Amino acid sequence: MATGMVMEMKETLVSLLDAPLADAVIFGIHIDGHLFLETLLVVVIAFLLLQKSYQPEKRPLTEQEIDQLCDEWTPEPLHPPITKEMELSPPVLESAAGPHTVVNGKDVINLSSANYLGLIGHPKIKEACNAALEKYGVGACGPRGFYGTIDVHMDLEAKIAQFMGTPDSILYSYGLATVSSVIPAFCKRGDLILADEGVNWGIQNGLFLSRSTVRYFKHNDMASLEALLEDVRQEDRRKKKVLNRRFIVVEAIYQNSGEMVPLDTVVRLKEKYLFRVLVDESNSIGVLGKTGRGLSEHFNIPVEKIDIITSAMGHSLASVGGFCTGSAKVVDHQRLSGAGYCFSAALPPFLASASITALELLEDNPVLLTRLRRNISFFRSKLATIPGVVVRGHALSPLIFLHLQRSGSFAEDSVILQQIVDKMLEEGVLLSASKRSLLDKCKLGAGIRIMVTASHTEAELLSVSSSLGNVIQSVVTAQS
Amino acid sequence: MMDASRGVGGIYVKVVPPPDVNKNTSWFQYPGVWTTYILIIFISWLLILSVFGCDAGTAWTVVNLAHFAVTYRFFHWKKGTPFAEDQGDYAKLTWWEQMDNGRQNTRNRKFLIVVPVVLYLIASHTTDYRNPVLILNTIAVFWLVIAKFPNMHKVRIFGINSDYDT
Repeated sequence: MATGMVMEMKETLVSLLDAPLADAVIFGIHIDGHLFLETLLVVVIAFLLLQKSYQPEKRPLTEQEIDQLCDEWTPEPLHPPITKEMELSPPVLESAAGPHTVVNGKDVINLSSANYLGLIGHPKIKEACNAALEKYGVGACGPRGFYGTIDVHMDLEAKIAQFMGTPDSILYSYGLATVSSVIPAFCKRGDLILADEGVNWGIQNGLFLSRSTVRYFKHNDMASLEALLEDVRQEDRRKKKVLNRRFIVVEAIYQNSGEMVPLDTVVRLKEKYLFRVLVDESNSIGVLGKTGRGLSEHFNIPVEKIDIITSAMGHSLASVGGFCTGSAKVVDHQRLSGAGYCFSAALPPFLASASITALELLEDNPVLLTRLRRNISFFRSKLATIPGVVVRGHALSPLIFLHLQRSGSFAEDSVILQQIVDKMLEEGVLLSASKRSLLDKCKLGAGIRIMVTASHTEAELLSVSSSLGNVIQSVVTAQS
Repeated sequence: MMDASRGVGGIYVKVVPPPDVNKNTSWFQYPGVWTTYILIIFISWLLILSVFGCDAGTAWTVVNLAHFAVTYRFFHWKKGTPFAEDQGDYAKLTWWEQMDNGRQNTRNRKFLIVVPVVLYLIASHTTDYRNPVLILNTIAVFWLVIAKFPNMHKVRIFGINSDYDT
């Protein structure tokens, strides 16, 4: 119906156009409606081409537009709505975080502090700190580059380098900022990093700040890493890209799971595929290896093969801060490029003295390591007998994770684990369940994180494991 | 151009058009883009002829309509740029509005307005102004040319494709 009418209109239009020119022939060109239309279009084109070019002026928004924009705007909250879990306050320690501590006026066994060698409160460290406080005062009052470098910093860097067997080392003032500064110092936009998906938040932050391309491989899965490396190699062959820096980032003992990375496999892979490797040894310094020199000693791999080693000193060394060690070039580059080194105040000198003394104690007392290892294996054997939970983490790791056997999501597990932790606190044991920040991208499950130290006695560990067994049984049966 | 001071050379400022910092549209400043554009249209016409084996007019109609669909979506519908480095400067502007830094009636814009009109001419001529395809072609050319008018700069009819919420 409509098309019929349109057809009729078109017919009349064409006939109108055709009528006066129906028989016109000018210079042999038969004039008809089509030619008319085409000429018209050519005229239109010419008109368009002859327009002058101008820049439209930027006029300010009218009042009406401003009002409209304001009405339509819905602000995004700075923080997502606070849930009940966020309001839980952690227990407050009222004494030093040694193997025993005071919480709420009660003395409890402390299995939540990373005091692996039991050096907190050691009289020699206290003596060294007192001497440093007398001599230097408390703060360094300046960044390392601007009159904040004190001789104890140089001594500690030399001591760490001598202890680890590397040419040089560099100090950072805050453990978490160490790896967050080291990674962006060496990796920039366009570089490739292959990281384990279970790395802790400090490393994730460093990876994000570096703006490099980050690809994650399955947690502690060397086959997944190798597949990813092969993938990268295939892509290289296909695309012939510009050469860029390539890193593999792993932790010696993962903060989120207690697993130990098979460093021999990683080194073999990195040499085959020409990557560099960065190992975060926060939980393995003073723990692994015959003399506590960390993962490379444990695997008997020469430390030169690991390109960058970072560590926080807040764990076994019972101090504060962090260090990074490697070849002379690696360390020297960070003197100007390490964000946490250049733009933060230097480590307080008494903490540097504490670290030096801690390293000396570790060197002079290898019995600490044997005690720690004995405690770990003893405790693990006792924990394995508890039904309803699975003991995760490497056999030599002082970080032991207890995951629920019937586990659901992270949130559900956290609720149950928090109940267990609360009950254990009433029994006189301080434990902690894994807590993840909203920014943390780690997808590993929730567990109770137990940190075994060298200064716990077997009797204490036995009592802890038995009360843990009772509490877990009661909570798990109450669940089901 | 008045050259009153002939003896003193170079006192007039040479105006150079500023380089296009918008990575989304800077590719259109290269020499050879126009030729490539025309060649793409021509080769797609040949492809359609060879694949479908239709007559020339139908092929030109298909090219015209496909050209309309593709250029409308990419030049006048999609807003913003695929590059995160410009931090959302162009998030509310379509490609056409971003072109040449918003300057109207530049040579690139005139070229891009003329191309659909020429395509319409060719398509309607080769189909002998037959009815169903003529209407489609006409709608296509009208839509495209009106969208490219300088008066339509930043205009969103009925608020279609406008976004005021972030």
